[in-house]
Parts: sequence; C-alpha cells; structure tokens
Amino acid sequence: MKLITAIIKPFKADDVKVALKGAGVRGITVTEVQGFGRQAGHTEVYRGAEYTVDYVPKVRLEILADDGEVETIITTITDAAQTGKIGDGKIWVTAVESVVRIRTGEVGADAI
Amino acid sequence: MTDATSAFTKERAAVIADATVTGRALCQSLTAATDAWLSVQLDAARSGTGCERLALVAVGGYGRRELCPGSDLDVVLLHDGKLTESVARAAEQVWYPVWDLGLKLGHALRTVKTSLALAGTDLQTATGLLSARHIAGDEDLTTELRDGAARQWTGRAARWLGALERSVEARQAVAGDVSFLLEPNLKEGHGGLRDVQALSWADAARPILTQLDQGGLDGAYEALLAARVELHRSSGRAGDVLLLQEQDAVARALGDVDADALMARIARAGRTISWSSDEVWRRVRASMHGGRGRRDRVLNERIVVLDGEIQVRPGAIDSSAPGLALEAAVAAATLETSINQQSLHRLAAAATQVEEPWAGSVRQLFADLLLAGRPAIPVIEALDQHGVWEHYLPEWPAVRCKPQRNAYHRFTVDRHLVEAAVGAAALAGSVDRPDLLVVGALLHDIGKGFPGDHTEVGCDLVRTMAVRMGFVDGDVDDLVAMVEHHLLLPDAASRRDLADPATITAVAHAVGTTRRLHLLAALTEADSLATGPAAWSPWKANLVGLLVGKVGWVLAGATVGEVVQPDPPPVFDLTGAPEERIEVSEHEVTVVCLDHPGTFSRVAGVLALHGLDVRVAQAWSDGGVGASRFQIDAGPRTLDAERVADDIRLALHGRLALEARVAERAVEQSSRRRRFPVGVAPCASITIDNEASQTATVIDVHAPDAIAMLYRLTRALADFDLDLRTALVQTLGPAIADAFYVTDRAGAKILDPIHQAEIEKALLFACTSRADEQPRSK
Repeated sequence: MKLITAIIKPFKADDVKVALKGAGVRGITVTEVQGFGRQAGHTEVYRGAEYTVDYVPKVRLEILADDGEVETIITTITDAAQTGKIGDGKIWVTAVESVVRIRTGEVGADAI
Repeated sequence: MTDATSAFTKERAAVIADATVTGRALCQSLTAATDAWLSVQLDAARSGTGCERLALVAVGGYGRRELCPGSDLDVVLLHDGKLTESVARAAEQVWYPVWDLGLKLGHALRTVKTSLALAGTDLQTATGLLSARHIAGDEDLTTELRDGAARQWTGRAARWLGALERSVEARQAVAGDVSFLLEPNLKEGHGGLRDVQALSWADAARPILTQLDQGGLDGAYEALLAARVELHRSSGRAGDVLLLQEQDAVARALGDVDADALMARIARAGRTISWSSDEVWRRVRASMHGGRGRRDRVLNERIVVLDGEIQVRPGAIDSSAPGLALEAAVAAATLETSINQQSLHRLAAAATQVEEPWAGSVRQLFADLLLAGRPAIPVIEALDQHGVWEHYLPEWPAVRCKPQRNAYHRFTVDRHLVEAAVGAAALAGSVDRPDLLVVGALLHDIGKGFPGDHTEVGCDLVRTMAVRMGFVDGDVDDLVAMVEHHLLLPDAASRRDLADPATITAVAHAVGTTRRLHLLAALTEADSLATGPAAWSPWKANLVGLLVGKVGWVLAGATVGEVVQPDPPPVFDLTGAPEERIEVSEHEVTVVCLDHPGTFSRVAGVLALHGLDVRVAQAWSDGGVGASRFQIDAGPRTLDAERVADDIRLALHGRLALEARVAERAVEQSSRRRRFPVGVAPCASITIDNEASQTATVIDVHAPDAIAMLYRLTRALADFDLDLRTALVQTLGPAIADAFYVTDRAGAKILDPIHQAEIEKALLFACTSRADEQPRSK
C-alpha cells in the first residue's frame, strides 16, 4: 500500500477530485496549505508596487492506494492539475505499513 | 435487581417512550418516578443499618423537578453527626443501585453544617442548595438545610450577586447566543435556561425582578425546557447543544411544521430571556457599582447620561425627530453602554416610519452606529427588540432570527448581517467610503429573507432601500454592486487561476472601480468572519489578497500582462557558452550574455527588423550576467529562428548596422501600412516614479505605437548608462503602455531632477520622432 500526497493549485482541486472519482478512487483527504517551492519567496513586481509573496496558497491531497493503482492515480492527478505554468505542484508516494478502517476493524487493502 | 428497581426501570422507560408526554410534564413524571424509587432505597438503607437520622435531598435541576431523560441525579444524603461505618454503608445502599442502572449520579454525604459551610464559599453549591427538595427520610434535616441555605444566601447577597454576575458573563461568553447561533446551547447559552435560573437566584438574594422583567419569561423557559427534553430523547444522551442533525426530530416531536419553525420559536424564547436577563443584570451592576463610576452628564438638549445609561429626555421624544433613536443608539454604542429601558419604551411608542428619502443627518447617524463596531450589537438588538429598528429597515423582520441551513454558517441571518457590519467597521480604514462599507455589509444578505436567489432578490431590495435612505445615484449603484458581487472575490480567488489573465480581466470588469474593489475586499473579510470559523483563514486571506492586488493594479491603469504572475528569470548560466546563449522559439526569445547597457535594445532592434511584435519583455541582471526574455508574436509570417538568432548574435557583437536597417524597414513599412490615421494618434507622455518600487525608478511611457518603439526607447535609456531591470511592454490598439524599471550603474534610483528631465526629454524624442524620419533629421 502507498500514500500518495499531491500539492496542487487551489483552483484545480475540484477538477482533480472529479477526475479521481472517475478513476475509482474512494477517499481523499484535502487540506488547505501554504508553502513555497521554486515558485515563491519571490517578489512580484506590479506597476506601482512590489510586494513579497511569502507563502503561496496550495491544496494538499492525500490518497491511500493499493500498489497497483498508484500509476493510474498519479497520471490522473497530473493530467487534471497541469496548467504548464510554474507552481503546478508536486506528487510524491510513500510506503504505508498498515491501514485500519476504524468502523469495522478491517486491515490492509480491505481498509482502503 | 429488587422489585422496586425493576419497576422503576420499566416506568422510566415507559415515560421516555411515551411521545404524547413532552416538556415539563415529562420532567415531572420522571422526577416522581425517581423520587418514589429513591425513597424505597433510602427506607431500606435506614432500616438495614439502623441509621434513622438520614435525609435524601434533591438539589439543582432534580430539586426543581426538571429531570430530562439524560439529566444527572444530583442528590445530597444528610446525616446528623459523625460519619460512622453504618452511615457510610447506608449511603452505599442508596448509591449502588443508581450506578448499576447506568444513571449519572452527582452525590454527596454530608451533615447540614458541612453542607452550609461548603455553600458559604462555593457559588455552585450555594445555588444548588437554593433548589433543595426533600425526597425521603428525616424531613427536619432537609428543612434545616433549606432554611440555612436561604439565610446564608440573603445574608451575603452583595457578595453572591457579584460572583453570580461574573459567572453569568463568563458562561454566556463561552456558550454564545441562543437566538443567533444555528446550533444553540439551550442550557448555558445567553438566553438559555440557566439565565432564567440565575435571575431567580439573584431575586432570592435581593428582590430585583419587576413585572416588566417577567413578561414572557415562563413561556420562554418552558419552550427551551421542552426542546431540551426532546433533544435528550432523540439523541439518546445528555447534551445541551441543539445540533443541526437533531433539529428535525425535535421539531417533529414538538409538533413544529419543520426545523425552521422550531428554531424560530427557540430564537424568540432566547431573545425574551436574554433581554430580561441583560436588563436585570445591568440594573444589578448599576446598584452595585453606582453606574460603573460614570458621572451623569448632558450630551445635548435631547440626550443625557444617567446612572451610566443613555436616557432620552421626554420632551425630545414628543418632537419625535426621525434620527432620535439612532442618536441615542450612537451615544450608547460610543460610550459602550445601553439605552435606558424607559427611554426605549418611549422611543418605541413614538416611532414612526422615517420620512423618505432620509435626511443626510439620519443617514450619517445610521452609518455612525454601525461604525461604532462591536458595542453597537447589543444596542441594535435593543432597538430591534422594541420594534424601533424596523422603522428604519422595514425589510428587517424577514431576516429576524431566520435560520440558515448549511455547515458554514454559525449565526441566524439577522445576526450574521449585524456581525458583518460591525466587523466591516474595523476595516473602515481600507476604503474611502466607510459609510457605504458598513451599510452594504448590513444589507448584503437581506435577500435571504425573501423567496428566490438571495443575491438577485437582494440587489432589487437594496436598490429600493438605498434610494429610501437618500443615497445619491452613484452610491446606490455601489451598494447594489456590493450585494451583487459579495461572493465574487472569494469564489474567484479559490476557484480560478490567478495566473490566467482572463481571471483578472473578468474580475476587474465585474468590479469596475477601485472604490468598489476595496469595498468588496473589506466586505469579503467581514462577511467571512461573520459566517463562521471555517470561512476565513490565513490561506483564504492570502488568496483573496493576491486577487485583490492584481485586480487593483489593473483598475489603476496597469495592464493585465503586467500583473499576472511573471515567469521566473532564466538560469544565468553561461557554462559551455562563453559569450552568450540565444534561444529563439515560436513565441519566445531568451538571450543570456555578459551584461552591458544596450544589450536589451539591440535584441529589441533585431526583433523589429524581423517584423516580430513584442508582447511582454523582461530583463534581469545578476553578477555581471544579463538576461532578457521577449514574448513575441510573429503574426502570419513564418519565423526563421536561425536567422533571428544569427542577427541577434551579430548585433550583440556590434556587427550589424542596426539603426540604419531599422530606419529602412520603417520606411518600407510605413509606405505599406499606417497603423492609424495621422491626427488620431494619442499624445506621448512620460512619468518618472520613485515611489512605485523599493529598488528601482519606474518610468511609464504612454505613446502612439510605431515601428521599433521598444528598440528606440531602450536605446535612449542605454545612452544614459541606465541598468534596465524589468521592461513591461503592452500594446493597446494604437498605443503602447510600457513600464521600465531602471537604476543607475551603481544600482541606485534616479533621484536628481535634472537627470530625470534629461531622460524624459530623450524618451519623448524617441517616441514622437518617427523612425523613418531619423536618417533625414541627422
């Protein structure tokens, strides 16, 4: 089992949710986050003012998936969240030791 | 399980299951059944242990016979002397069966003396004993306790009143309002059951309740008690917060048409209670602290401060000036006090519909009241409670205590509007018309009181209301725009791509003016904060702030291209390309080379030579290396990338007769196409601004467009040895609007006025003289 974590642009959150549902994903955890990658800490220059964007608002998605589903999910997120511009975000995958569904006590892949 | 216990279990279950018995009747049945069962337990314990001098006393809610299905049983077992082993055993015989049934027990085993000693220091024990009631055993002990507790309470009235007042305030602050929360706390809330109990405790200490205070209190109390009974019944457990998920079941059980009808009743009950409670406690405070130390004074011929309260002089009311109630309200809110109750009654009796359109002074007072911020809330509530508020806003009753069913909102519609308005008052500094801000905030959801889409309905209503209030046409339009677009900024900020020029254009177009943008920005924050904790966060604030910043610059005259997020600078890496790196693609040209003045203009010249229009250009420099990036539009021509790159390389090395070739091309072009008829061309203007940027001087150039304009302007800048940091280039039909961020070679701004004047002269010359004339003029 894997935990897929994706950082995406806020306005893409709905598109990604719909795409993931279409791809058969049953559960997503969504968090509003702020941070910076290559995109930020930069100074935006507008005529008349400069101001520093310390942190850029993003949305973090977390999805538990069976090993076999990981590729599809990553492709689905990438396709739905891509604008081609800087700040589109990142996806990373981590190994998960165990998962328990609290209501039933099911363990492992059954609990996803 | 003894016979008595199983009989009690059955009876209790039957009472709770009987849907025809509700409210106090149910509480009394539960109390009677519990009394009977505990009496049997105590009698058995007394005879079993030989301890005769024992009494079982109900305290708190059980003492008042107000047991709800999930209530604790609060009891005291009184004994008359030493705590012997047999007394302890008798107590256990009473407690264990209660525990065995899984009922919650608040128990104590004490003598009358220790009980009274504890009640002498602890507020909760003291008030609990005020409702002490004999259940079983030696009645003399109970009487001794009751009499002692009452004596002690009145004997230390001043102290207890002070402690009680503080506890009431603290409790209300934590639990919030019964009338205005969508999930009210029926017991602890402001306007809840506990407030009525506290009034009776206070009245027991020192008679303070008048006929006026008690009007409707009993009915309101019964309504809340009945709701609490059903809440326990439907949820199957104790709890005082009437959650959204329980409201349907409670409404059905109490015969309300739907949950909204139930919540409207609850809100009315809460209002009645909180109104009386606030009024009484205010009087208590005044009597205890002598009007909180404020001196009586005359504010004007109509209004005085008396005992710390605002009082309207009776004579002034006879003349019934339309703004009088508002004037009193402004005074009360500003001094953070209240309007005297008699004055309110008199104002209510004299109130009539305000003449339309309102006089400027009335409108000003109305805005001033809202601008007073949070202290205005109780004052507005007092005006509304007395029917004065709706003389100013006849539409208000439609939203009064109106519930809203969604997970975000915390308050009823009316309170949400008042919260938004006073919240907006705190942001008054961010707008140029605070009066429009607070009035718009107060009315932004008024449409929720009427059928149809609340925004559409609200726009029509607010137009009528604003005209009635006497706002001038432009102000009316601004107020309507605030209602129409009150969800625009939060929606666009979180659901649209802020790096997409279309987003910025659309929002700027909808908002229209800088004033409205700032009004909407402040309204968005105040509205969100008044909605609930989930509606506003640093995350949301950051997103909305980004959007407002970008739209703001566009409305102030910047181009959309300037404000969408600029691309990051190219990598300043010349490794493996010792002289320069030139990349030409269909839409973009990037040049990285050793930095010296003139580089940018030479590249711009080559692009002009190849007939390529520059959309946006940016320049960066770092550590002696300069980079320029041009977004280009080749039009219908096919781009010969290799030739362009070659020419750029030649130009950079000073091997191209750039100026002559550009002039040649200009002649060629001008004979073939004139971009606009002579005489229609806009005038050129140059603005040099040292405030706009922290690090650079910003030179704004507005001029008619012409061939190679960017080349000529930047070459003029290079003549001054200026370092070009950023160039934002935009072509708007027949005109250009360019912004150049420049510093001198030392990296400093251009502050010398003579230097500035020379630059201005050179740029003006560059953009007004036509390229095809240059060779001849030399």
